Amino acid sequence: MTGNRSRRRDRVPGARLSFGRVVVATMVSVLLLGAGNATAARAPWERVEVIQELLNGAEPQRDAIQLDLPAVTQDGSSVAVTVDIESPMTQDDHVERLYLFALGNPSPELLEVRFTPLSGRAGISTRIRLDSSQTVVALARTSDGDWLADVRDVRVTVSGCLSRDDTYASEDLMQTRVRVPPNFERGESAEVRTLIQHPMETGLRTDASDRPIPENIVRSFEAHLDGAPVVTARLHRAIAANPFLLFHVAPERSGELSLSWEEDTGDKAQVTAAVRVD
Amino acid sequence: MTHIQQVLWSGFVIGLLFGAVAERSRYCTAGGLREWWRDRNPRRAAALLVALAVAVSGTQLLDAFGWVDLRSSLYLQSAFSWLLMPLGGVLFGYGMMLARGCGSRTLVLLASGNLRALIVLPALGIGAAVTLTGPLAPWRLALMEATSVTPPAPGVPDLLRLSAPGHVAAVTILVLGLLLIALIRLRLYRYPWDIAGAVLIGLLIPAGWLVTGHIGADDFEPVPVESLTFVAPIADSIHYLMLSTGIRAGFGVTVVAGVLVGALLAALAGRRFHWRSFDSPGHMLRSLGGGVMMGVGGALALGCTIGQGLTGLSTLSMPSGLAVIGILLGARLAVIMHEAVVPGQPAA
Repeated sequence: MTGNRSRRRDRVPGARLSFGRVVVATMVSVLLLGAGNATAARAPWERVEVIQELLNGAEPQRDAIQLDLPAVTQDGSSVAVTVDIESPMTQDDHVERLYLFALGNPSPELLEVRFTPLSGRAGISTRIRLDSSQTVVALARTSDGDWLADVRDVRVTVSGCLSRDDTYASEDLMQTRVRVPPNFERGESAEVRTLIQHPMETGLRTDASDRPIPENIVRSFEAHLDGAPVVTARLHRAIAANPFLLFHVAPERSGELSLSWEEDTGDKAQVTAAVRVD
Repeated sequence: MTHIQQVLWSGFVIGLLFGAVAERSRYCTAGGLREWWRDRNPRRAAALLVALAVAVSGTQLLDAFGWVDLRSSLYLQSAFSWLLMPLGGVLFGYGMMLARGCGSRTLVLLASGNLRALIVLPALGIGAAVTLTGPLAPWRLALMEATSVTPPAPGVPDLLRLSAPGHVAAVTILVLGLLLIALIRLRLYRYPWDIAGAVLIGLLIPAGWLVTGHIGADDFEPVPVESLTFVAPIADSIHYLMLSTGIRAGFGVTVVAGVLVGALLAALAGRRFHWRSFDSPGHMLRSLGGGVMMGVGGALALGCTIGQGLTGLSTLSMPSGLAVIGILLGARLAVIMHEAVVPGQPAA
């Protein structure tokens, strides 16, 4: 508008701007601007530096990966999330890494998982913390170097009614629970559920007297079958308290599944479970 | 079937039974209180006491055997609002008298052809959602925080420091007292079918606890421990109808669906299905106002006549007692303010 007004002051002969012309010009420029924006529309992750660094210019495919989250949740402190990626999971063609990001959290990183052909299926479930309504992104890299991505918007409403205790019984800390199927079929993947009791202190909270509570999280998880890695995971502070992780394993023969968690203090928890192949 | 599907289907069956029995026995807190206070007819009110006695004894048995961890339920949380519990109860009680039926009764009425419920239910559900997660939610949370108190224990037996045998004796005396008042003093013994209906409804409360707290107690994905309640579940059912592709139904939603189906089947089988509607705009306004008050009040008090009145009290929770006292006060107030002047309602 200011541009139009200054031109009017120039009084160029024959170019007097009627009200109608101004309206038409404004509409055209708005349309052009809109069209410009539409062509420049970018995927939500492109605004996030960590993701840009990972992708390094690559254009992710959107079809073979499925990110599953509730559209609306009343409890942002623990939101169930599942990622499933279509892949043969052979030595030549498998998913190597999976990254989860919550773009609206104080720090976007949620989880980084490394799969192996021994996983049998590139899928995980966990529970995450979401600060507010926002976009969650799953990004995966295959052994061919291709990138896959899926995006979900989640609306987080204020917590319903349940108040949560802020104290954690210290004798339960680092206690683990594991559920492995009673028997496997050779080479077929099946679900393993794991959970470790841990507050996953973000370092962002203060206690009753306003002193910051230091960050204290479980930072990594590893699953090995007879010494061979199945999945390894790097956990960030927005993984919900008592980290839950569901992964898959496709054993060729009976063996021993060994699971270990490591806290950022260096403390470890370890547990083994028998895998029986019929 | 996963444990979650088992919980959902069990919820549907519990709702089905509740709907059928409540339709057949005309179980209704609002109606019972109104007939008792206004017409001096305690028959339906006595049934409420029998249901409460059965709910308390069944739930306390589950607790004693350690089958359900009631302490993780909403009713036995360590802190509560001394203001919102009774205030929400008063709003709910007043609204239920205006709308002539609480949440569960309105579901049963809808399934037997009462179109008035089509005003009351959305008003209740949206009123509750507005208060729980909508525009009123920040106010609710601020008020809750400002008025929150932490008693030494949320359960009455713990508050009284009862020993284990003392706990058993107190529950026995309470249950026998309720039964004596209902059966002898209020003469319910003359109506065996009413007793049977109330006993069945009372039994569904521990059944609900067992489903969510025992079948649903998975190490990795535990289901919230709850039993029958109708305010938040009616709101959640409306949410679910709108957003089912993006959210999962919970126990409460399948209970609501079950109640509708059960009551419809019972009404059809008993030839009691009749289309009914409003007599006047004033009638419609009373229902609308009553529905909104029930929704807002029920959200503030964390439950309704069933949710706090049966389920909450069955845990012997002190805050539930406050909410129920609020509901009774609100209902009484509504009877005093409105019942004498409502035309066409002969007083006994």
